[in-house]
Amino acid sequence: MRRGDPSAGEWLRRQARQLRAPLARSGLLTVLQALALVAQAWLLSAILTAAVIAHAPLARLWPQWLALLVLAPLRLGLGMGARRTAFRAAQRLGASLRAGVLRGAQALGPYGLRAQASGDLITRVVDGIDAVLAYFARYLPQAAAAALVPPVLGAFVFPADWLSGLILLLTAPLIPLFMMLVGKAAAQASERRYGQLRRLGAAFIEALGGLVTLRQLGAAADFAERLDGESEEYRALTMQVLRVAFLSALVLEFFATVSIAVVAVLIGFRLLWGELALRAGLFVLLLAPEFYLPLRALGGLRHTRMDALAAAQELLALEATPLEAAAPPHAARVPREAAPQIRFERVGYAHGGRAAALSECSFTAAARAVTALVGASGAGKTTLLSVLLGFAAPYTGHVWIDGVELCELDVAQWRARIAWVPQQGHVFEGSVRDNLLLAAPGADAAALRRAAERSGLSAVLERLPHGWETPLGERGLGLSGGELQRLALARALLREQARVWLLDEPTAHLDSAAAQAVEAVIRAAAETRTVLLVAHRLSAVRAADRVVVLGAGRVIEQGPPLELAGARGVYAELLQAEQS
Amino acid sequence: MRRALPPVLSRLWALMRPYRGWMAGGAALALLAALAAIGLMAVSGWFIAVMALAGASGAAINYFTPAAAIRAFAILRSGARYGERVVTHEATLRALAGLRGWLFRRLIPLAPARLSALRSGELFARLRADIDVLEHFYLAVLVPASVALLSIATALVLTAIALPAAALALLLGTLLAAVVLPLWIERRAARDSQQTVLDAAALRGLLLDALRGHSELLAWGGVAAHNARLESLAARLDVRRTRLDQLQAVGGALAGLFAQLTLLAVLVLGLAAVHGGALAPPELVMLALLTLALFEAITPLAEALAQWRATTLAGQRVFDLADTPPVFIEPAPGTSLPQRCDIEFDNARLRYAPHLPWALDGVDLVLAAGARVAVVGASGAGKSSLLAALLKFYPLQQGRVLFGGEPVAGLPGDELRRRIAVIAQQTTLFDLSLLDNLLLAAPDASAGQIERAVSLAQLEAFVASLPQGYDTVLGEGGARVSGGEARRIVIARALLQDAPVLVLDEPTEGLDARTARDLYTALDAAGRGRTLLLITHRLSGLERLVDEVVVMEAGRIRTRTPAREYLAGERRR
Repeated sequence: MRRGDPSAGEWLRRQARQLRAPLARSGLLTVLQALALVAQAWLLSAILTAAVIAHAPLARLWPQWLALLVLAPLRLGLGMGARRTAFRAAQRLGASLRAGVLRGAQALGPYGLRAQASGDLITRVVDGIDAVLAYFARYLPQAAAAALVPPVLGAFVFPADWLSGLILLLTAPLIPLFMMLVGKAAAQASERRYGQLRRLGAAFIEALGGLVTLRQLGAAADFAERLDGESEEYRALTMQVLRVAFLSALVLEFFATVSIAVVAVLIGFRLLWGELALRAGLFVLLLAPEFYLPLRALGGLRHTRMDALAAAQELLALEATPLEAAAPPHAARVPREAAPQIRFERVGYAHGGRAAALSECSFTAAARAVTALVGASGAGKTTLLSVLLGFAAPYTGHVWIDGVELCELDVAQWRARIAWVPQQGHVFEGSVRDNLLLAAPGADAAALRRAAERSGLSAVLERLPHGWETPLGERGLGLSGGELQRLALARALLREQARVWLLDEPTAHLDSAAAQAVEAVIRAAAETRTVLLVAHRLSAVRAADRVVVLGAGRVIEQGPPLELAGARGVYAELLQAEQS
Repeated sequence: MRRALPPVLSRLWALMRPYRGWMAGGAALALLAALAAIGLMAVSGWFIAVMALAGASGAAINYFTPAAAIRAFAILRSGARYGERVVTHEATLRALAGLRGWLFRRLIPLAPARLSALRSGELFARLRADIDVLEHFYLAVLVPASVALLSIATALVLTAIALPAAALALLLGTLLAAVVLPLWIERRAARDSQQTVLDAAALRGLLLDALRGHSELLAWGGVAAHNARLESLAARLDVRRTRLDQLQAVGGALAGLFAQLTLLAVLVLGLAAVHGGALAPPELVMLALLTLALFEAITPLAEALAQWRATTLAGQRVFDLADTPPVFIEPAPGTSLPQRCDIEFDNARLRYAPHLPWALDGVDLVLAAGARVAVVGASGAGKSSLLAALLKFYPLQQGRVLFGGEPVAGLPGDELRRRIAVIAQQTTLFDLSLLDNLLLAAPDASAGQIERAVSLAQLEAFVASLPQGYDTVLGEGGARVSGGEARRIVIARALLQDAPVLVLDEPTEGLDARTARDLYTALDAAGRGRTLLLITHRLSGLERLVDEVVVMEAGRIRTRTPAREYLAGERRR
């Protein structure tokens, strides 16, 4: 874990470099503010000395008093300016980082993303960026203040009283030294805490998503205890981090406070012995707490830095994850408008060190025809569609689209030709209409109606309280499996211009009447399109022009359905199983 | 909204009862640290002034006591500060963990009937983010406010003894800095503060869509548009946060300004008093430094109150959710389930919302113990609603569902559901090991029972193929297994539950014909001696599993016929 640190620190530093100019401006304002502070202390000590020693009346002290009155808003304005400059710049940097991290997550591709818990990713993107942002907006300006303010104040303390100046000078470097010593142990604990925070986030989002299942199993209470355990572990780890962080703050606090006490007592005795003027003594006493203040504040923000380092580690890990779908340089050929012929030639695909999902797959999906993919679950049917969608890349072998290699096509243009019904479609936040329009943003009301009509969604819409405007949740609240299926179908049908249809079990969850209606739609569409249809039910396949039977990632047999039914192959066996 | 605020706080306070000891301890230590800091500066100022006067006049002086006091204050402040930090954070983290667990337990009985309107992203935001925001209530408001008030009181008493007029100036200044200014900041920040909570929740929702729906967005070329939406919301959030930070800066600066003005007033009054002989000169120094130190304790309040609305809104959201009444009131603990397990629907009517058609429209259905019945019908005919009513997930508007002769509404829900194993259309697998996923159904299952369930569900080959076997972690929502494998894991889990009633809701959806056939054979064996209710729209293979077929249509039972007869009729059609 520790070995990862330098790179996380390096990453933070690299990001912070962009903040150099605003931080410098903020630092300048901080220095000016410190100078105003010195002037205030000087005036106040003058007033108090005059009152104590010379019993001066108020009338003689008006000028100093008025100067104080003017200085107060000036100094506070400078402080505000410094804070604002730093915060705004940090905010801007945070926004660009957030966009970058989201892109990084998306670049993992559908396969890479599926392997990540999304609760966990969201924690990384939102909380991780917030942690880094806090470092930029709070820690860095404070670090600048801690570096700038003490020397400025020290420069004024020394001429006034060299002994106090010496005490400040000697104690000041001890503070960062101790902070570093204590901080090393804390950094490690902080990393673990962050990991635990992520686990906690993922566990909660999952428990909520599966609450119905948990209740069905009567396991909800047990699961709550499990979450309690995670919460408790998070608390324990956080306290471990904080205790160490606070210990470093204690060291700071102790040095700072005791030094002030020593300065005060020493000043007192030298005043008694007549070795020092009261004015100088008071001036130093007023500045002493301010001398340590930035250092102490920095100590209080120590955990900000540790959290940011741990978060940076996570963000870096996201950046370092190998990207699945790196587009080859020449992928710019534009696919033809018409329904293409799709030819798979010895195509293989394996994801992330797992056993090959596809190997040596060869078959042709003719244009203006329905090609059905059947086979046991896990045979590679869905993966074949993923290859066509450009999700499963890089593949081996060749996929020819009208004679052009798939990976040489402009992937956005190619996808624009495709209508896809995924196995389990995601329902997006927004209304039914929004959910459909995601697939075809420009579609008009008539197109929406047509898609709803043909997919059977219109019957569902009639039931919904607000029709098209009914808001949907991520699992499609209140919609049954069949209704969700119609939504997914309607979404695909809305892409009327698509000449390639990739349908992953389009009739799952539909009763036979609805399924037959959908099959008719598919048949009709195939007259001008290339349709690839994944099916479990062979009844859905009867109308296909060609059936490709897959098993363990390979093509076992293929041919027209009637021919296959007559042969004594796997298809015939499956068919018999279904009819018996 | 405004009127609802006090109850939010008082309820929060009530919920924090177990942690009040920690909370009070933290506040006490904070006060000690603040008073020590004030004492340190005040005594130091007085001390050096006295020493200077003694040095000038050559008078003898007892300097041991004040010098010792200065050192004591210094040590006390450091120690109390450390203690305060540890104890207050301990208190917050304990309270937050407790609150999170409390809320989750309140949510359990709400699923699914009351939660279906909320996205899990939204729920997650409430559960975690809102509760985290509540941290602010104690750490940034309760502690600083009590410290400020008690410090002010102490300082006022000390000042009043030395110079009553100065005490009046101090009272006015602290009133402005500790009461008027924070309240003003709170009002100015209200909108942004509230909206940041809402926007942050919306942002999480959009992110969830961006990541979970990434494949679809890619396929539709919608990634850029969705990202743009996300970024514009994020930008809006950033603008609000910047405004809030600015307001906080203004609050801090104004508090500092009030400190300076109060100091100047104290100086004017003090100088007059010193000149008139009413105040000893060193006491003026003491008063001046005390004023400055006191305001250090007050300044954080104004900044903290900029977040006040966010805190109360978070609390409001948490309580709104937690207060949602469950659709069923659980019977008194100890209510036992009848021994029998026959099921009867008696004129059952159910609909999910007043504007929706009846999902069950007068269903009469008797399932004797050990009966094997399939319910078939078009989607939307009410098949799954039978299950929802039986599991006590949704209440009937009319009629009754009886389990063992007693209405389910009066039976303990968890006990009831443990007697009914369900293989449903949408069953979640958790990001746990395969073994832990199975054990959710039966925490005490033996290795033998697990093996048996796994073999019945035809998972043996799959388990054998896993390098880590039963310890393989399945990924979020079972993401690392295929659809068919997931289905069989769910089946094994249900079989492990060993319940007298087994409900199969489309168990073969997503399975190819051969696997489906084998599964029916297995379920046939596993279902022996149990009541078996099969909900399906696929007729093939039915007769392997059930004796009777019930046809549903538009929420009603149409026919109930022996399976062979029914299938023969279907084939003729």
